[in-house]
Amino acid sequence: MTCEQCRDDATVHLSETIDGKPKEIHLCGVCARKAGIRLPKTPPDLALDAVIQGLITANVGELVGALAQKECPCCEITFRDYRTNLRLGCPVDYRIFGTALLPMLKQFHQATRHVGKIPARRSIDPEPILRMRADLRGAVATENFERAAQLRDEIRLRLRTFHE
Amino acid sequence: MNLDDLTRTSGEWLRGAGPESDIVICSRIRLARNLATYPFTNRATRSDKTEIEREAKAALAKTSFQLEYLDVHALNPLDRQFLVERQLISRELMQSEGPRGVAIGPEENMSVMVNEEDHLRIQAVHAGLSLYDVWEQINLLDDQLEQQLDFAFSPQLGYLTACPTNVGTGIRVGVMLHLPALVQTREIEKVFRALHKINLAVRGLYGEGTQAFGDFYQISNQQTLGKSELELIKTLNDVIPQIIEYERRARKDLVDNRRQNLHDQVSRAYGVLKTAHQISSEETMHLLSSVRMGINLGLIDDLEIATVNELFIHTQPAHLQKIQGRHLEVDDRNEARAQYLRSRLSPGPDPRTN
Repeated sequence: MTCEQCRDDATVHLSETIDGKPKEIHLCGVCARKAGIRLPKTPPDLALDAVIQGLITANVGELVGALAQKECPCCEITFRDYRTNLRLGCPVDYRIFGTALLPMLKQFHQATRHVGKIPARRSIDPEPILRMRADLRGAVATENFERAAQLRDEIRLRLRTFHE
Repeated sequence: MNLDDLTRTSGEWLRGAGPESDIVICSRIRLARNLATYPFTNRATRSDKTEIEREAKAALAKTSFQLEYLDVHALNPLDRQFLVERQLISRELMQSEGPRGVAIGPEENMSVMVNEEDHLRIQAVHAGLSLYDVWEQINLLDDQLEQQLDFAFSPQLGYLTACPTNVGTGIRVGVMLHLPALVQTREIEKVFRALHKINLAVRGLYGEGTQAFGDFYQISNQQTLGKSELELIKTLNDVIPQIIEYERRARKDLVDNRRQNLHDQVSRAYGVLKTAHQISSEETMHLLSSVRMGINLGLIDDLEIATVNELFIHTQPAHLQKIQGRHLEVDDRNEARAQYLRSRLSPGPDPRTN
């Protein structure tokens, strides 16, 4: 169906009663807005990423010095990277960037402590293995395949012994 | 799993059953989980992702849920789009790269995405307002996975996720509602505002940032930290009946005060769907929404809710192309859609069984 004003695709369909007779009106979003019709069908854009950006600015301010440069030894992202991508790189980031993340968590969730399900199985400390994985990436990148193979074996061994 | 077979069925959640099914389409819960000893997906190397997928597949196969794994990386773009339309995978998983997949349970009640924003996105869905049943199921699957996988978890912050907005329980509790009367009476914005005040999010049919086609809205929690899973479920479970009540009141208002208009609108919508020769996806959704409300108000008596629910999904682009078995450009799709609607809405045997 096309817009009655501009022949673009109609996305707004209204039924109104004019002089006791039902009348259908079909408009595109642009013409509907021009006609002063408030479009109630779309939920407010959550723009979650923008919300987070706002929280970072409010809580951390402009990135200066140490925090901006701080890099996670495991996934090698900096806080600046997080600020750009809005995704953390690994579980250890929560510790590395904790001072900046906690105030944001408090604002977003109104809480800073987990309440709820706890895994039945003993949790592994991921940091030593994630550090080894970082070394492994470095070894592969520099074509040090002997070292890479050694690290793979070590990681496997550590994971196996943890659950024995 | 043969995806072509799915074109003849729909998920259990679409069958129009379950409590409050005139307004509540389905209840859905997802849990975000990550394997502790790998970087999150956005920083994982290809070989990390391969390992994560291998570990996840092995663990999924050992659960009691009869999950079938689909390698999304190996699928063609049409099949990926088809899975998005069925709500089995997210747009993010469709569009991303590298090893990734989804495990799907019988009747499409469960699905687990692998290497999405988080390593695992576990999802369970049921028809109608049935959040506690959904929780029971998803919690059991999570328990079974947890026996085999090391999930990233900290005593202070709970389950650790790639985005801090999901940290803690990693849970999103959502209910999909059909609210045509609140839209028509323009009361829906009040509902949005009230929900916003209590920190609940409103999304369209296909999640964040999507339009509310067909008057469908998903209401879900935003907070994931500092409240238990059951507390968050209870919040939704307490609020939804109030929205249902508003919608019922708005429908009653339409019936009491604008019965002729309403009947006219519903019958015209039904008429167009049964007879059109070209129809866009958007117009289809819009008209199906009126028809769906018409059935619930007793204004149409020769059509099942389940059929209408299914048509919302089966008239979308990838579904149409798979049903027809060929690639279709937009204009061809509009014709194919109209033809499909005519065949499904006319009396006689279901054309798909031929």
